[in-house]
Amino acid sequence: MFWQQLLNGITLGSSYALIALGYTMVYGIVQLINFAHGEIYMFGAFAGLFLVTVVGLPIGWALLGAMAFCMLLGVVVERVAYRPLRGKSSRLSALISAIGVSIFLSTLMVIIAGTNPRNYPDIIKISNYQLGAVQFSSLQIIILIISAILMIGLELMVRRSRIGKAMRACSQDIEAAALMGINVNRVISFTFAVGSALAAAGGVMVAIYYNALWPYMGTMAGMKAFCAAVLGGIGSIPGAMVGGISLGIMEIMGVAYLSSSYKDAIAFAILILVLIIRPQGLLGQKIVKKV
Amino acid sequence: MKMRVNRKTAILLCLVLALSLVATGCAAKKDASEVDKAADTNVIKLGFLGATTGEVACYGRPAEKGMKMAIDELNAQGGILGKKVEGIYEDNKGDNAEIANIAQKYVTRDKVVAMVGDPCTGLTKVAAKIAQTNKIVLFSGGATGTGVVDLGDYIFRNTLVDKNAVPAVVNWMVNKQGWKNVAIITSMNNGYSTALTPVFQEALTANKAKIIAEDTINDGETDFSAQITKLKKVKPDVLVFTGYYKEAALIMKEAQKQGLDLKMIGGDGLYGEDLMKLGGTAVEQKVMYYAGFTSDGASAETAKFIQDYKALYNEEPDMFSAQYYDAVMILAQAMESTKSTDPSVFKGYLATLKDYPGVSGKTTIGADREPIKNPVCLLTVKDGNFRSLMELIPVTVK
Repeated sequence: MFWQQLLNGITLGSSYALIALGYTMVYGIVQLINFAHGEIYMFGAFAGLFLVTVVGLPIGWALLGAMAFCMLLGVVVERVAYRPLRGKSSRLSALISAIGVSIFLSTLMVIIAGTNPRNYPDIIKISNYQLGAVQFSSLQIIILIISAILMIGLELMVRRSRIGKAMRACSQDIEAAALMGINVNRVISFTFAVGSALAAAGGVMVAIYYNALWPYMGTMAGMKAFCAAVLGGIGSIPGAMVGGISLGIMEIMGVAYLSSSYKDAIAFAILILVLIIRPQGLLGQKIVKKV
Repeated sequence: MKMRVNRKTAILLCLVLALSLVATGCAAKKDASEVDKAADTNVIKLGFLGATTGEVACYGRPAEKGMKMAIDELNAQGGILGKKVEGIYEDNKGDNAEIANIAQKYVTRDKVVAMVGDPCTGLTKVAAKIAQTNKIVLFSGGATGTGVVDLGDYIFRNTLVDKNAVPAVVNWMVNKQGWKNVAIITSMNNGYSTALTPVFQEALTANKAKIIAEDTINDGETDFSAQITKLKKVKPDVLVFTGYYKEAALIMKEAQKQGLDLKMIGGDGLYGEDLMKLGGTAVEQKVMYYAGFTSDGASAETAKFIQDYKALYNEEPDMFSAQYYDAVMILAQAMESTKSTDPSVFKGYLATLKDYPGVSGKTTIGADREPIKNPVCLLTVKDGNFRSLMELIPVTVK
């Protein structure tokens, strides 16, 4: 049972990780906790559903389509709600703006889709495999592989590409980066686009895996993912991955071996404990190397 | 300097705004009370309690339709005591604060004689306190949990009460089907669920069934993999789940995913089309729930109600539409019989209601003011629809 529960935890955790990446990247560059990020994730799930059921795309294209849509949505949100405030007012007003966007987006989806939970049609043939005492499904494998590809791709992009270098520069010192001729606004837009695309991928996969999506799905998932980002060390990309997966495992193990009533309490107690011992998070560094 | 002028103008503007608000507020109030006085004498007002948007709108929407239909029928027959009946419909969004405001408004502004609703136990209790204090009858067409009518002598309900239905269901489960090893899952942030679980526990113990696993979830969660992996170890004959349909569907889906053959039984919280939409084949003939109403295998009165309802709304009525319809009709009968629209008078009739032949079954209000409804319908999912599995005779209280 332990290994089965571990696999359950990793699957849950990888969805947290995909959302956590968006939080951590945005925070790394503009020190903004983008509370609307959970809603972007929700919009991704709905965009995917729209593409599958209304447009009739196969699921692979729908996933890419949802990612593209959320890229655009993320950039628009940044342009409309955050950029006008940047530099002119305190960080607190940007935070309030983020909460506003979050409420706006979930309410908008309530108007569009209603509050009833929906689900993806059974598009993927799921087969089950048995490995020792552990049973896993093809869907679980696909989700883990896609998550891994996205996370490795992101890490490579940040480490190796030109825009990645610009992102790292901005995270170290945004003013100095601007002085060096980096188009800071473009880098920020790009960061929102990438983070939103990852959230959309997470949204589509979670909605398929757990078979349900509804307008408020982003709220709790966003909270959890934010905690995962803090746990891993906010601003650190590998930290978000580690934080997401550990949070998933902690939650599942809490249910499995302690009590499910205290599932969230256990997970968050560990989170607090980690932060007391290592305030910078698991993989965060003392002089925070953001992004 | 500029700043100062701005602030001054701002303060001035605020003052003007505030004043104008007070002024219009007063005016509006005066208008309303005048209208009320004028209208009071020849209109009987009933306030609807229920959500037509939000998470529990799937209970409130059919309820509202049932209530509207009953009121239209009453008015077509000349109203109650020759007076026109008017329904007032506010959407409480399933929110405790919202329903308190609405109940307050019904009492003070609309001057209703009775409120009908809410479908949810927790919300009903909020409104019931307000109704009792203001001596207005509250007649719920949905609240099945405990501690509702205990709130006062103006509070009634026409619904299959869990503590009457559960013993009948458990008796069937344990003694007729031989499902003796039972697991229970409760949704901790759902008041309906936490109240229903002890009722099941008590009935299970009374029937000498073994509770082999107890677990909890929360409404709004989607990952139940850990709970199902645990259940796989103990292989229960049946899972009692006391929460709502959405989580029920996702639990069954997870069981299917993990290859666990699981049967689920629960209260009318499992009722909801989304159970089938989300659950698909995972819930087919596996999920059962009890309710006071089913649209198949109906009596003559019920058949006519179903037919009229379909003609009006182009959809099948459900338990809430039937019970709200009945609630309005029972209130009408109470006012007609006592020749009074005074809640303190016609509540006496409600308290002694016996074998009222409603569209949602026979209703008797017992000595404890709790309704006894007959029969208890046990439903299951078949071909993507709720179908009647069998009718059970309730274990009558006392």
